[in-house]
Amino acid sequence: MSPALVIVLRILAALGLMLANGVVLIYMLRKVLGHLHLRLGPVHVGPKGVFQTTMDVLKLLSKEDVWPSGVDRALFYLAPMVVFVPSLMAYAALAFSETWRITDLATGLLYTFAVLSIVPIGILMAGWASANKWSLLGGMRAAAQQIAYEVPLLLSVLPVVMIVGSLNLGDVVLAQDGMWLGFLPKWFVLPQLPAFVLFAVAGLVELNQTPFDMSEAESELVSGFATEYSAMKFGLLFLSEFSNSFVISALGVTLFFGGWLVPWVSSEAIQPIAPVVFMIKVYIGIFVMMWIRGTFPRVRIDQLMQLGWKWLIPASLGWIMVTGLVMKLWQLGPQVVG
Amino acid sequence: MWGTGLIKGLAITMRNLARGPITVKYPYEKLELPERARWAVAPKFDASGNPKCTACMACVRACPDYILDLEVHTAQDKSKHVEHFRYEVGACMMCGLCVEACPFDAIEMSHDYELAVTDPEALAYDLLTDVDAASPKRARAEKPAAEKPAAEGGGPDA
Repeated sequence: MSPALVIVLRILAALGLMLANGVVLIYMLRKVLGHLHLRLGPVHVGPKGVFQTTMDVLKLLSKEDVWPSGVDRALFYLAPMVVFVPSLMAYAALAFSETWRITDLATGLLYTFAVLSIVPIGILMAGWASANKWSLLGGMRAAAQQIAYEVPLLLSVLPVVMIVGSLNLGDVVLAQDGMWLGFLPKWFVLPQLPAFVLFAVAGLVELNQTPFDMSEAESELVSGFATEYSAMKFGLLFLSEFSNSFVISALGVTLFFGGWLVPWVSSEAIQPIAPVVFMIKVYIGIFVMMWIRGTFPRVRIDQLMQLGWKWLIPASLGWIMVTGLVMKLWQLGPQVVG
Repeated sequence: MWGTGLIKGLAITMRNLARGPITVKYPYEKLELPERARWAVAPKFDASGNPKCTACMACVRACPDYILDLEVHTAQDKSKHVEHFRYEVGACMMCGLCVEACPFDAIEMSHDYELAVTDPEALAYDLLTDVDAASPKRARAEKPAAEKPAAEGGGPDA
């Protein structure tokens, strides 16, 4: 096959995964939230309501694309794409197994964070272009919180990168192969628990997930930056949100929970079902996000900013220092002791 | 300890998840209403299917919303004929004062709660149409007989 065709097919595969994820995750969100709240979630379309999102997507596709008067037409048109495309690009560096990945990027982690940081620009564009105060507020909040929390998010993964010595997500997983003390899986979540907690909090903020969904804030801002959007433009905004939660969960699994590896099973034996293991782990991560979403009320915007700048950033800087010191002492160990 | 509240919250929602939904799938499943639930006013009928209403107008006077209306035709022999017993359910507040006012136990607050209609005209009920009203004399005569069978003969109209 020609290289160009391979690339196109890979992009299509990523797109397919993203769309399928969107459909599954929306159904899963509604079911999980429902059951967390002693409700049922969708039950009508198909057995247990499994085709509900399919019908919703069909509905979105067939709906009228409303252009409210007063919108900035160019930005209003572009914003969903600026949100959607980086979300799709973020799949490129994910390592589903040793061989299953779209590209084998040496700077995979950096690349993923870089493309995800374009999303707030699109959200700000959407908020601004809508010519609606609520949308603008939502867009501004999204930009403020996502830009603020990119710093602790990046800092929180730095200790892992320091230990592995590589930004390639596949290498990060392979570095977690094996056992500590013969029975503990060599996952980074054990030595790097503080880093994982920081990553989880910053990741939730980065995703605009409840309890940090300031940009949507349904009770105050209607639907935030997405208020004026309809039909498939809204669909793209919505899809990208779910896709981002998949990407962040995948990063969490890769960095802290051994990617496609299963404890007490050798990495060769797991190879044939590695992508399945990876997907299961990612979905468990997403379930935990939904669990948090179904439990906590939204924090205030000033509390959120204080948490970010006054606690998370100093804490992640401190933890980087601790990790660096321990690593250095480990290297010097023989000299110091001996 | 700081942060334990977060864990407690998560534990509560997880417990809820394990409990399963408490939803009643309403159009398919219905809960039984409490006995004293008050919904649309309905006429009562005696064993032979005749309305117990004597057209005494007590309910019409008692209604605070003025939504009950009895259109009665009185014959030569003073017997009453109910042309219409109108009831505007859309304006009814289900207070039950008409039922309390009824001296003959001829109307009740029914358990019919699915009152939504697509046509506003359908909110004007006609509870009774073109029927003979029960005779208050007969009702008074039968009541003690039914309730106090050992009572002495005669009666108010004897």
